[in-house]
Amino acid sequence: MDEVNAVNEASVTNECFQFTGKAGEFFAIWIVNIALTILTLGIYSAWAKVRTNQYFYGNTFLADASFRYTANPVQILKGRIIAFVVFMAYSISTSMDPVIAGGALILLMILTPAFLVMSMAFRLRNSMYRNVRFNFDKNFKRAYFIFALPVVVIGLYIFITSQIQNFVAEDPESMATFGIALGILLLAMVLMFPWWDYMVTNFKVVHARFGTSDFKFTATTKNYYRMYFIAFVLSILIFGFAGIIVAGVIELLKSGEETGDFPVIMPFLIIFIMLPAYLWLFAYMQAKRTNLMYNNLDISGNKVQSELKTGYLLYLYITNTLAMMISLGLLMPWAKVRTARYRASVTSLNVAGDLGQYTSAQQQQQSALGEEIGEMFDMDLGF
Amino acid sequence: MIKGSYFNGVTSEKKDVLLYFTDDGLIGFNGLDIDEVDYNSVTVSSRIGNTPRYINFTNGAQFETCDNDAVDQMVKTLANEPGHGLAHKLESAKAFILFTVVAVILFGWMFIQYGIPAMSKQVAEWLPDEASQYMGQGVLEAMDKSWFSASELKQQRQDELRKLFNGLLKNIKGSQDYKIEFRLGGKIRANAFALPDGTIVFTDELINLAEDDLEIASVMLHEIGHLKRKHSLRATIQQFSLAMFVMVITGDVSTSSSIITAIPIMLVESGFSQKMETEADSYSLEYMQQYGINPAYFAVMMEKLEASYMPQYISCMEALRKDEDNRAKKIKCITDAVKLNKEENAKAGKNTLDYFSTHPSSEERVERFRNKI
Repeated sequence: MDEVNAVNEASVTNECFQFTGKAGEFFAIWIVNIALTILTLGIYSAWAKVRTNQYFYGNTFLADASFRYTANPVQILKGRIIAFVVFMAYSISTSMDPVIAGGALILLMILTPAFLVMSMAFRLRNSMYRNVRFNFDKNFKRAYFIFALPVVVIGLYIFITSQIQNFVAEDPESMATFGIALGILLLAMVLMFPWWDYMVTNFKVVHARFGTSDFKFTATTKNYYRMYFIAFVLSILIFGFAGIIVAGVIELLKSGEETGDFPVIMPFLIIFIMLPAYLWLFAYMQAKRTNLMYNNLDISGNKVQSELKTGYLLYLYITNTLAMMISLGLLMPWAKVRTARYRASVTSLNVAGDLGQYTSAQQQQQSALGEEIGEMFDMDLGF
Repeated sequence: MIKGSYFNGVTSEKKDVLLYFTDDGLIGFNGLDIDEVDYNSVTVSSRIGNTPRYINFTNGAQFETCDNDAVDQMVKTLANEPGHGLAHKLESAKAFILFTVVAVILFGWMFIQYGIPAMSKQVAEWLPDEASQYMGQGVLEAMDKSWFSASELKQQRQDELRKLFNGLLKNIKGSQDYKIEFRLGGKIRANAFALPDGTIVFTDELINLAEDDLEIASVMLHEIGHLKRKHSLRATIQQFSLAMFVMVITGDVSTSSSIITAIPIMLVESGFSQKMETEADSYSLEYMQQYGINPAYFAVMMEKLEASYMPQYISCMEALRKDEDNRAKKIKCITDAVKLNKEENAKAGKNTLDYFSTHPSSEERVERFRNKI
């Protein structure tokens, strides 16, 4: 018995992800992309996107093999042209007639889940590792199910707020009823959010495949509620603290003689006190959500490990932002490369079996149109 | 010989192999029991920096290698494709990169400086008036809530100024919806605002600065200029387009958050409104000349506005607060402050906060109107 266990434990190896990209090298690719995009009036942007993705995928290694991005730029270009035409048609229609505008907006909302699914499928189907493609089940029914509830609740909220004046004008006493109804809806939205985030993440994971192998998602709604609850408590503490500092500074200025400096100091207060608080929250959620998702990924017994740290992410965001501001955006490639390097450095795979065991799925030729439309919105699901 | 990994296309199994090619265009592997294939039947991925290269075979197999130079050598020997690796050649030419950086910066600057404002102007003119109306809704209410309180000006004085305002509108086409409102500025002090729906708000503090009503008229014309040129609509479109532009160029949420990219926009934005202020100045100047109002009135008003932020002026006015109708003394407060401000400016030189302020340096503006006298 013991012997068997020992053998099993020994066969588990931890493979680290590695990112080998270099800022200088990517800078050259990036600046040439921008120049050619400008010269071709945007047409090259599709090739630029593919080259950028290929650079980042190709520099990401796991167990001495790289990832590969295989999207066809022509297909992306077609998607972008369709997107441009749709966007122009939408803009023109909205400036002509509010009814058409409203209809177009509702249509767009109805189609959004489908676009998300198609965009996800496009991205995964064009991702490869060890000559085996990733894949995504286009389960539209499920996507619509997940999106239905929040849309109904938010729609109800908007409807009530838009109608509230008419009703209250007729019957002033109904105000309290509406207030309570809106309060309940708002509370429902807040309480629903962790569940919804779980559902969306779960949807993305369980419909993904590597070759013929399915991904499993082992997180539960409880994990999500706990994560959001801790984030909520910490934000109250941090924003409360930031608020006290801001109020203190304002009070100090009021009591001083130079009240005239009040409007001048305001942007500085926001930049140096409120912004770090906001950035902290952003980094915290980024780290916790990513970790929670990756640490619960399971592909035929091989498990991902992700140890993003809020502190280091915050440091990256602040230094990246400062660098971009000082360089007018020219240090963007550097920021992207170092972020990718950090993310790879904290991600690893616990390999229980053999990475050579996966089999390629038979690729059926699918209509590309849906994927192009999904691609044109370029919705990043962060997978 | 190229060292790399072989993947058979059916499973993810990785085999370390050596790829060789012959002079007559055949490719094979050392250590694998596979027939040699013709080079023309395989696809070689193009080079991107130092990322691995992939050679794909018709049977679905793939060869992956990090030895870029060897692959380049093979492509050069076996095929004569002048287009192969063109993008990589551009990306690795140092002089070309340097030239591109300069060209892109120049283009970006020109686009932000001239392209976006010109575009926004066109779009603002193209949009129906309802767009401005829509934007203006509730703006005054919001300002009333957070800053203003009811005007302390006497009704008679308000009527007088309204009459002056309506008189100015006579020669201005499409101004039938314009109206003027008075408020006590409080923290905002002496100021005037042109709201998108055609309402112009004057603070009591600004009215109190004027010795002659023509000084107020000059500011009225300036605000009418903002309305006529649809500045608030244009500013909104500009901000939106600039945000889009910055997002397209730097656009990547994973490296920083999008709110952050808005900060440089804020800095550039004040530059935009400086241009609009100058435009409104020109408008005011044009109509002042048409109505036969001496441009010096505007220059005087600008100097007073700047001086009105001095603590000496504020305390001088504070002392007169209970003195209901002491116009002469109030005027003396501001004339003294202007004098003092001029002396201080002469001593200290330029205003250091210039870049953050939305108005062009008032010295420049005053100069402009003085020169027209």
